[in-house]
Amino acid sequence: MKQWKDALIQGKKRVAMPIMTHPGIELTGKRVIDAVKNGELHYLAIKALADSFPTAASTIIMDLTVEAEAFGCKIIFGEHEVPAVSDRLVSDFDSVANLKIPNIQSGRVSEYLKASRLAAENIHDRPVLGGCIGPFSLAGRLFDMTEIMTAAFIEPETITLLLEKCTQFLISYAIEMKKTGINGIIMAEPAAGLLDESMCDQFSSVYVKRVVEAVQDDQFLFILHNCGNTGHLTQSMINTGAFGLHFGNKIDIIQVLKEVPPEILVMGNLDPVSVFKMATTKEMNLLTNQLLAATEEYPNFVLSSGCDTPPGVPVDNIIVFFETIEKFNKNKLLKNSLTY
Amino acid sequence: MENILEKIAYCVEFGKINKVSPYPPDMKGQDGADELTKLALEQGIPPVEILNKGFVLGMDRIGKKFSENKVFVPQMLMSAKAMSTGMQHLKPFFTSGEVVRKGKFIIGTVAGDLHDIGKNLVAMMVEGSGWEVIDLGVDVKSEKFIEHILSTKASAVALSALLTTTMVNMEKIVKDIRDQAPDVKICVGGAPVNLDFCLKIGADHYSPDPQGVVEYLNKLVA
Ligand code: B12
Repeated sequence: MKQWKDALIQGKKRVAMPIMTHPGIELTGKRVIDAVKNGELHYLAIKALADSFPTAASTIIMDLTVEAEAFGCKIIFGEHEVPAVSDRLVSDFDSVANLKIPNIQSGRVSEYLKASRLAAENIHDRPVLGGCIGPFSLAGRLFDMTEIMTAAFIEPETITLLLEKCTQFLISYAIEMKKTGINGIIMAEPAAGLLDESMCDQFSSVYVKRVVEAVQDDQFLFILHNCGNTGHLTQSMINTGAFGLHFGNKIDIIQVLKEVPPEILVMGNLDPVSVFKMATTKEMNLLTNQLLAATEEYPNFVLSSGCDTPPGVPVDNIIVFFETIEKFNKNKLLKNSLTY
Repeated sequence: MENILEKIAYCVEFGKINKVSPYPPDMKGQDGADELTKLALEQGIPPVEILNKGFVLGMDRIGKKFSENKVFVPQMLMSAKAMSTGMQHLKPFFTSGEVVRKGKFIIGTVAGDLHDIGKNLVAMMVEGSGWEVIDLGVDVKSEKFIEHILSTKASAVALSALLTTTMVNMEKIVKDIRDQAPDVKICVGGAPVNLDFCLKIGADHYSPDPQGVVEYLNKLVA
């Protein structure tokens, strides 16, 4: 994967990798609830997307409930919606101390591993990237997202213990994902985006770094996604050692590209909802072109959505997105050949 | 007397809940909003003074810093926690009628949306400015908003949405509320919402942050 990353950076073409699986579910005629509960249907959705669009890599569903469910959280499933956690699981030091680190086959984890394995076995023309939640966001799901923000100050020992348990689980999960034969993972750590820089270092990045170190190597790429970062946390994200960083639509991506070392991939950041889902094809074309033009001089940039694209994205918008990039690449090639 | 009220405001601004709380580190071991509110009441300071010159002032200061991006969500939540801990001591005076709050304010995140951190911040800021807050939680449908507006006779209701897809649900909720409770003032907010959208769906107020809601509500009762 180091080769893949380096080739992307050295290559003349701009490529795109939206975090996108829902349109695949729709292509296979299934519902969200089918894919998030069944690894095989999930894989078929990933495959359908790979067969339809020239994505730089295939991604699995950004489902931020799988790990929390493994720990014991109750999950609400909607037929056509991304699942959600219904209630907090722990609330104080004792409940955290009693919390068991789940087995790697708990809940739907085994279905997600199955989807990864099938994708790795059957998709050969591009890398397959698995996915998981980040340690602070997982801890927030277990402890309640609002409560964890203050508990980090008032009872840091409770939150540290919880983060330790979340991290141990995520390390095992990442190792298991790697064994399925996939080429890397995208870790989603949105809640850390609400912290200031020193808190993000202390309560997220040091833990993320441990997961990175457990799996990342020349064959396996680690991408950290933080859509909450508005610009104040880029250095903290770099500190994790991940070779790929993925940003949300709230950030000034040019500023990011100036800050991130050129050997690290920077990915982002068209709004998954107001652009991918709700824009007209004309707007989609315009906004994609704007992003392409603005980022042209940065070889380590990969076009992407700012977060997971939700259910209900019009296929036409995805087609236009990729067509716009292709046209941009052709024009660039032409321009280059004319200057020689 | 000024001194203890200023101390309460300071504790709220910097999130010092009580003596045992280790936050903020430079106030370790000192009394917090909890102890100081109790002490102020023992000294005979009228509860309404504690509310206005302690809590409201402290929340107003942190709210401004938050609007200016000088502090982040956790710091803001610490202030809210300090405020609500102190507020517990004032609750008996609210029930007895000795302290009259400015009005009743209902808030919820709209149907389909489970983001609640921003909504919680708005709720806490409004409570800190002297209103009684009824928080309906997340994924709230029209019927639930209407039921509570009618049963509590609230003067204002706030809808929060963080997803562009659930923001559109606001239009229906605003219309439903108007049909059943035409007098209640409706505020809308959340990251994807803006003033144009607010006007388009016929809501009464939009602001990008909680401070704006507080100012709007205060004008209503001025
Ligand atoms: C934390 C977070 C989560 C947490 C939520 C935890 C919780 N209990 O709230 C989790 C991980 C669960 C989550 C889930 C999802 N999320 Co989310 N999430 C975020 C994140 C990182 C921060 C949101 C936040 O809390 N901000 C902090 C608060 C303080 O800000 P705020 O809510 O805007 O509130 C302020 C103002 O707007 C205002 N305000 C708020 N309400 C009101 C009301 C009134 C009346 C007024 C006047 C003002 C007001 O005051 C507040 C203080 O200033 C954002 C990205 C970002 N940077 O914003 C994405 C984001 C909101 N999420 C997004 C998405 C897509 C999702 C998911 C669909 C992802 C998925 N695939 O599962 C799910 C949806 C779940 C659901 N059905 O709701 C997208 C939405 C895109 C869009 N335009 O619609 C965002 C923007 C990320 C992105 N870049 O794409 N998310």
